[in-house]
Amino acid sequence: MPATLALAWRLLRGGGGRGLLGSALTLAAVAVSTGLLLFAIGANHAFQQRSQADAWRHPEKAAAAPAAIEALSTDYVRGRPISVVDLAALNGSAPVPPGMPHFPKPGEAWTSPALGRLMKDLPADRLAARFPASAGTLGRDALVYPGELVIVIGRAPADPAMTVDRNASESLETTAGPVRIDRFPTAGSSLSGAYRVLMAIASVLMVAPLLVFGGAAARLTVARRDRRLAALRLVGATPGQVVAITVAEAVLTAAAGAVAGLLLYAAATPALVHIQIAGGGWFAAHLWPGPLTVLGVLAAVPVLVGVSAVVGLRRVVVSPLGVARRETPPRLRAVRLGALVAVLVSFGAVSGSLMSLGRAALVVLLVFLALAFLTINLAGPWVVALIGRATVLTARGPARLLAGRRLLDDPRAAWRTVAGVALTGFVAGFLALLNAPPSLSVDGTRDPHALRLNLPPARAAEVAEQARHRLAGTGATVAVKEIKAEDDPLAEHGTVTRKGVVTITVPGGAAPTDRARTALAGLVPGKVATSQADEDVYGNRLLGDLRTGALTVLFVSFLIAVTSAGITGASAVLDRRQTYAMLRLAGTPLGVLDRARRQETLIPLAVMGGGSLLTGLFFAAPFATGFGTPGLLTLVVFVVAGFGGVLGASALSRPLLRSVTTDPAPRPD
Amino acid sequence: MSLPAPPEAVLSGHGLVKRFGATVALDGVDLAVGRAEAVAIMGPSGSGKSTLLHCLAGITRPDAGEVRLLGQRVDTLGERRRSALRRSRFGFVFQFGELLPELPAEENVALPLMLGGTSRREAVQAARSWLGPLGLDGMGHRRPGELSGGQAQRVAIARALVPRPAVVFADEPTGALDQATGHDTMRLLVEATKHNDASLVVVTHDPSVAAWCDRVAEVRDGRVQRIR
Repeated sequence: MPATLALAWRLLRGGGGRGLLGSALTLAAVAVSTGLLLFAIGANHAFQQRSQADAWRHPEKAAAAPAAIEALSTDYVRGRPISVVDLAALNGSAPVPPGMPHFPKPGEAWTSPALGRLMKDLPADRLAARFPASAGTLGRDALVYPGELVIVIGRAPADPAMTVDRNASESLETTAGPVRIDRFPTAGSSLSGAYRVLMAIASVLMVAPLLVFGGAAARLTVARRDRRLAALRLVGATPGQVVAITVAEAVLTAAAGAVAGLLLYAAATPALVHIQIAGGGWFAAHLWPGPLTVLGVLAAVPVLVGVSAVVGLRRVVVSPLGVARRETPPRLRAVRLGALVAVLVSFGAVSGSLMSLGRAALVVLLVFLALAFLTINLAGPWVVALIGRATVLTARGPARLLAGRRLLDDPRAAWRTVAGVALTGFVAGFLALLNAPPSLSVDGTRDPHALRLNLPPARAAEVAEQARHRLAGTGATVAVKEIKAEDDPLAEHGTVTRKGVVTITVPGGAAPTDRARTALAGLVPGKVATSQADEDVYGNRLLGDLRTGALTVLFVSFLIAVTSAGITGASAVLDRRQTYAMLRLAGTPLGVLDRARRQETLIPLAVMGGGSLLTGLFFAAPFATGFGTPGLLTLVVFVVAGFGGVLGASALSRPLLRSVTTDPAPRPD
Repeated sequence: MSLPAPPEAVLSGHGLVKRFGATVALDGVDLAVGRAEAVAIMGPSGSGKSTLLHCLAGITRPDAGEVRLLGQRVDTLGERRRSALRRSRFGFVFQFGELLPELPAEENVALPLMLGGTSRREAVQAARSWLGPLGLDGMGHRRPGELSGGQAQRVAIARALVPRPAVVFADEPTGALDQATGHDTMRLLVEATKHNDASLVVVTHDPSVAAWCDRVAEVRDGRVQRIR
């Protein structure tokens, strides 16, 4: 084995300029794949970390003897939410909250760095006066993301704020408790769980084309080795040795590529932390999965490339004389298309009832998305062969004939060139329908900025009177309305049957509203006056995040696709350099070769990209919120950028084509 | 030493010099080829015989000297015009046939005509008419991988002759074939080129291949050493 490795290393180093270029292309492909794989894994890890970082604020009833009371409410400043965690120790064994050196004493407040800064920067009557003075700064462990606004307030157990139920009406997990606890929970909230599921979908959307791309790169490495393999067989190498040498060479290249990918991801992390999801950017440490996972990726990528190389090698008939005998390839079986049709029909059948499945719908969707990718990838070569046959039948000029014959000759290779962009078409189609921003405004007749306090009806009039007193001279108007729970879209059915709503209308925008909130602070202990717009923040944020996520996935897929098109294009030129050189030598204009090459890519791209896009739309249809302008724009941008990107990537290998054909026979013989 | 010009030189090279770095591949070669004449260029490996073929065929530009086709300078033409010349006036047969593996035999033969602007239907018809006389009846739909080495080389001969070139260049045309097949291939190559009034320039190191030609020029160290 050491001898095999040594020979593989020697062959790798001694490959000459073009051999090295070929290896460099594979290395680059593996590096991009590894970098993006780390991104997908890192992002999942980051969501998990966020989920855990958020968990401690959502109290769970003590299983053992309670040691403290915890409550969560959400206040707002400048339209941004502030997580307010109230804590009261019941005895000396109260658990230490994350990011703090000790349990807060009554009257003590700890703020996140961003909230601390904001409290200093804004006038006290807008923010700081709502809370006790800051006694310290919360550490990173207490925060979900950098820049988050959080305050932890220590209170006495008898403090009214520790007795008023926060869950009176809000359905979002922005309020909780008060609950007697013995420890801080570590399991994430359902909202962060939803994000994790969405991230899992995004991972499938990103990783599937990535695997196709990585496999293609590995197989290209093998295809380029065929002559050398024959030479090795001639000097007496056994098929086993030839396989070992080739796989060792592919694995060595892939190992270097994987390390380069790791460096690429490290270099990209400072930019990635600025992607805004769920209200903020990221801690760089959250984006790094543990060292074991990183090592696992670094080991798995070369192994996968090695396996892919063995699969590729199986196709090359390695005989000592004449390497890859080119015969009429057997027709691909239509069952490939059948598999895709079966998946589409099955999805069509279940899609109607998908929304009623609740959480299971996401699992079903994930399975179908993965199946769609697999079957599009399976049907791709079959369709490419069909396109090739049609192109050959209708070709009049040499470029089109060459393109058609090549598609027909090796539809799998032709598919590999366009697979990335075609699969991105699926992603673009899928996301286009999810892209439309529906309005979250529940009730158009109500002022979305009016502050509301939901109270038991008996207390409403008294609180309204106090509010009028506190807001005297600000121009705010205070009204009381008694409503039934079923009339309130934000109420949880069964919790309150009737309630009084104190509505405070503050003219003048964000600053007067913040001042009014400050003036009303503590009016009802543990309760914060919130507006419809405040509560919409989370819904709008989720939609915004869907858009950000969609665009990120689309961008990543597109990056894979164009890199894939560029690398496979350049590899194809290297693989066929002898044929190209001989054609040029016999007087074939470079333009004809280039046109054939372009048509060979663009014809299947147009058909398969379009087909995948429609499949994506079909899969998103059950969740469609409407086909708005942003969705249409996504599709148009995809189509234009897809063709432009592939044409650009293809143009990049034109100088290579020129170089391999310029001097077809530079032997001084 | 120079090869005496035949009475009607179709192709000629005078004082051809070509260097690759410090290596002198051609050191002042003169060679002329007459109408329908077959000339073999022989020599050991590294003698400069392939470089001579490339200079004569307009593939490589000589550093000094001139190449003429039917009296016209071709070495001074730009790359585009030399390409057009190679496509229309020259034909090529290489050691391994170098057929396009994706195309069936008849389309391989039709390709030069299509590149010259002939319609696909006419080009394929013309190609078929070449396959019969070369013993390739019924093989037009086969791809190069489905042909024997000798059959593939005959397809290459048809491809070289289909544009009715003035000169066919063959670089070790039997190098990859066994002796009997090589013998048959050379016979067909020489007969077909002569039958079509084309001249033939064959580069080989095999005396039995050279024996098929009207004249033999032996190249050594970039010079023509002997003419037979």
